[in-house]
Amino acid sequence: MRNNSLANDIGTQYYATQLGIYDEMYANKVKVLPYWERFMAALDSMGTENLELRRREAQRLLRENGVTYNVYGDSKNLTRPWQLDPVPLLISSEEWVAIESGLKERAELLDLILKDIYDKQTLLKKGLLPPELVFGHEGFLHPCVGALQKQKRQLTIYSANLARGPNGRMWVLDDRAQAPSGSGYALENRTVMTRVLPDIFRQTQVHRLSGFFKSLHKGLVDIAPHKKEDPRIVILTPGPLNETYFEHAYLAAYLGYTLVQGGDLTVRDGKVWLKSLSGLQAVDVILRRVDDSFCDPLALRSESKLGVAGLLEAVRRGNVAIANPLGSSVLENPGLMAFLPRLARYFLNDELKLPSIATWWCGQARERDFVLQHLDSLVIKPINRGFGNHAVFGGSLSSKEKEYLRSQILAKPHLFIGQEQVSFSTLPAFIDQKIEPRNAVLRNFVVASGSDYEVMPGGLTRVARQKDNFIVSNQAGGISKDTWVLATEPDKPVSLWTQPKRNQLIDADTEALTSRAADNLFWVGRHLERTEAVTRLLRVILTKLREVFEFKDPLDAECLGVLLRTFTQVTGTYPGFIKCDESFLKEPEAELISLVKDGFRRGSLTANIQAFFQAAFSIRDLWSQDTWRSVDNIHRRWQQRINNLELRIEQLPSHLDDLMTGIVAFTGLTSESMTREAAWLMLDSGRRLERALALISLLRSTLALRHEDILQNQVLESVLVATDSLTIYQRRYRSYIQLPLVLELLLLDEAHPRSVAYQLHELSVHISALPRCKRAGQITAEERVILKAYTDLKLCNVQELTQVNEEDGVYQQFEELLSNTTDLLWQLSELIAEAYFSHSQTSQLMVNNTPEDEL
Amino acid sequence: MKYRITHSTLYDYSQSVGLCQNEARLQPRNFWRQEAHSSHFEIMPSPTDYYERTDFFGNRVAYFSVQKPHTTLLVTVVSEVSLFPKQNNLDLFNAVTWEQVQQILQGNVLINSQSQSFDNQSQGQSQTQSQSSEYVLELFDARQYVLDSPMVSVSAELAEYARASFLPHRALVEVVHDLMSRIYKDFTYDPTFTTIATPLSDVLQFRRGVCQDFAHLAIGCLRAYGIAARYVSGYVETLPEPGKARLVGADASHAWFSVYVPVIGWMDFDPTNNKVPHDQHITLAWGRDFSDVTPLKGIAFGGGQHTLSVSVDVLRLT
Repeated sequence: MRNNSLANDIGTQYYATQLGIYDEMYANKVKVLPYWERFMAALDSMGTENLELRRREAQRLLRENGVTYNVYGDSKNLTRPWQLDPVPLLISSEEWVAIESGLKERAELLDLILKDIYDKQTLLKKGLLPPELVFGHEGFLHPCVGALQKQKRQLTIYSANLARGPNGRMWVLDDRAQAPSGSGYALENRTVMTRVLPDIFRQTQVHRLSGFFKSLHKGLVDIAPHKKEDPRIVILTPGPLNETYFEHAYLAAYLGYTLVQGGDLTVRDGKVWLKSLSGLQAVDVILRRVDDSFCDPLALRSESKLGVAGLLEAVRRGNVAIANPLGSSVLENPGLMAFLPRLARYFLNDELKLPSIATWWCGQARERDFVLQHLDSLVIKPINRGFGNHAVFGGSLSSKEKEYLRSQILAKPHLFIGQEQVSFSTLPAFIDQKIEPRNAVLRNFVVASGSDYEVMPGGLTRVARQKDNFIVSNQAGGISKDTWVLATEPDKPVSLWTQPKRNQLIDADTEALTSRAADNLFWVGRHLERTEAVTRLLRVILTKLREVFEFKDPLDAECLGVLLRTFTQVTGTYPGFIKCDESFLKEPEAELISLVKDGFRRGSLTANIQAFFQAAFSIRDLWSQDTWRSVDNIHRRWQQRINNLELRIEQLPSHLDDLMTGIVAFTGLTSESMTREAAWLMLDSGRRLERALALISLLRSTLALRHEDILQNQVLESVLVATDSLTIYQRRYRSYIQLPLVLELLLLDEAHPRSVAYQLHELSVHISALPRCKRAGQITAEERVILKAYTDLKLCNVQELTQVNEEDGVYQQFEELLSNTTDLLWQLSELIAEAYFSHSQTSQLMVNNTPEDEL
Repeated sequence: MKYRITHSTLYDYSQSVGLCQNEARLQPRNFWRQEAHSSHFEIMPSPTDYYERTDFFGNRVAYFSVQKPHTTLLVTVVSEVSLFPKQNNLDLFNAVTWEQVQQILQGNVLINSQSQSFDNQSQGQSQTQSQSSEYVLELFDARQYVLDSPMVSVSAELAEYARASFLPHRALVEVVHDLMSRIYKDFTYDPTFTTIATPLSDVLQFRRGVCQDFAHLAIGCLRAYGIAARYVSGYVETLPEPGKARLVGADASHAWFSVYVPVIGWMDFDPTNNKVPHDQHITLAWGRDFSDVTPLKGIAFGGGQHTLSVSVDVLRLT
């Protein structure tokens, strides 16, 4: 037990709440609420140092799990680590009951409004909603009117941002109704919290979150058209550049859905299909994370590259369900909040249990005048979110800015609202090793499941980094918190697995690998293999460089020259060491450092590692947790090492050894944990293809030209080291080092995993195993090409290959064989892309010309 | 007046297209001034999937997709249409002022009370209940055409240009006539100047454009003063120059605008020809602006470069 004076260091004694602001711990009273007291006592007994360790442990876990939040316009730090504060928001079970029923009611109300706006429009016709409010909002999509499906609920997923005002009442700040994000982050926060504060978590009875995801799954199955029992559900993501891409991948992996981008889907015969490696597969339900107007370039925004042409037509015909339906963003109109109380009375004959923050829509003269008179004390928001459209605090504007805003409101009043400025409640947060109050916003999640709406018992709490700041958002660098809804009795864990009906055999679904995922897997394999080849060769060069420096033997220098030229060729970074001055070869350090470090230089190690990471990140959902950790390790450790401004050549060998360890870990994990299905075949084909190409390039530039025997021996030895084959060579051939024997091992020995023959053999096996429609007895173009490459290699004879042309000193046949094989491998790569990566086909918009008239 | 319209669009691709999806608003709609007797598509290669529906604005839409590889796509629509021009032009002397119309369309009073107040003013007590609710719906429908739309955003410049037509207490019909003839006079018809993407501000600045631009311009001017205006796409019959034979297929698509005048309904105006459409304008579709009524748009997968040729023939049958 720690004594009191030590416990004070955590800062709870100095926790200074602000006058007039509600604090979650005190609830406007002098004494801390009992459940907060228990929790804070537990933190106190832990002490600052310990808590800081746990906070760091949480950050480490989040980072290793790849939990990121991308910030737009920040391409350098594309993936920003997710921030988690170890102090959760505690909500008592009594209070939760009120919040929960309020959220359910609101979801129900919004569902009814959505149904009305896209169907009969009674609200508009009866004057309960002004047409300017609905038609003036960009979320109202004309083509979607009449396109709603027969579903019990149209609003499948709903989310709201809540904050507590000074009087202790919860208010809704905004409604999220099209593709709410955050539920995956909330789940990940919980996972991490149970690991870093296991003792406190166990002592506190907290509602579990997994039930919500089971309901989400059920809700999505419910809306599948034609009452399909086991529908195919996909998550439609805008792609890895999206700010919440982590969550898309995370939910896909957690729920077992296929993660797709627009290009992975196609509409044929009025149905939606997934372009998978084994052909088109019907899609029944789309959980969309793409904004609705971007979902169909034919019916909606024609410039969108994120959607699927014809998607809305498939919806109209009732062949696919989308959660939430296209057009649901009309509910995110903040002006709607001003009308909700009236609509609640109309639809539910009830007052809103969970009120919205006070809102005045300027489309009505009285409200507009009110807003204009109180500009100083209100937040002014445009009803349409978009570029340059953001909320402003009237009081913070200069008189000139205020005049401009006033004229804008007067010109198009229906496009603006005024909202009350609310001071959110504060909540203890562990910041700079102290417990301090921070303003908080809580995001809750609701899903339609069965006959009712279900609310996630918890949510995503976010606090501002700075004190007394009410702008709480991830884009502005906010910190997240777990949300603990206290239970009166312990919650039983819920399994996500569905129990099949008795004696029902479930067909194992063959992995629906999208062509985009296949493409990325192929390139993960290629980039990583390229990284490995460059690393191995570089290590040999560095050794040789040191030898030249130490022994000053001209033979070493000559050998180094050969290796440096080879390095340029293997990395494809011409002109480099080819056709350069002697002095450049004598002082190769600067060029070598650049080829290691410079991420903007194609072929450099850093560029390869970045490309590997990007390709792997694009298919984040396909990796196991351990595998992803190894991807992250390779990338992060490398960045840390080379971000060192003064990277010196002497430091390189240890960096490279470390990199090799990372690569080997990834290779080992994938080969031990991936099923031998399409995904593995694609990854390994990329790897084999690249290894063959790199090896051929190495052999060609080192050995195709005759060297004097003594130099050749040195070069041969370097080649054996660079291919990790020296030991096996020595064991097999003992001390004789000879070109024909080296070629026998590196070119033709099918039993040696680093030989060309081995790569070609593996490739031909993989390619025949890939799914492909073909007639019996016929072989595909890819099979033909790899078969030719393999056969040509098998048929050659080492004695003939090592016949040198006396005139120019070139091993003619050897050179020809390698050059032909390279051509065939490039052909193969293109054929694979053509056959399997159909998502890359580009689409174009065809619009009739401007109408012209005869005068 | 009866017409047969033949409208062909030919896409020629440099590479094969594996899949294309299209949406066409090429079939004339029916309304009080017009009846489409027949209207059918001939599409080569023939589409695997073809569906017709009516869109939000009441236009006829055909969705079709060609799902086999092709290098050309030919879309032809043949329609037969009768026009019933009104015999008198009394509408053109309607005296309701633009300020009155602006008030009626104003959003801050709810529809019921508005219709009442307007009923009292102009129609007296004789109006039956059913007519009244029809009128309320018509008015409700008109209000969306006062707002900005994707291609027409009201600006101070548009309001400034229109100001000369919006004299105080002038009848709305007179205002629109004046605006139409000013656009006709002030602007040069120049097919080389604009594309679909040319913004209205350029049209206004350089005083050049085609029928689409002039229609958008007029719509923007009217909306700037709170008047409901919509975009109409269609065809106009062209007569050969005296002594010359009619050229088959030399006609083209056309566009004009329509204004909502309470009780009378929607009235068409053609600023490109400075004419009130009467018996030579065949209507295809209407919407807030061109983007709602694009006659033919599609998304093709593959195809490389494409060229496009269009021919339209408007033949008077009776």
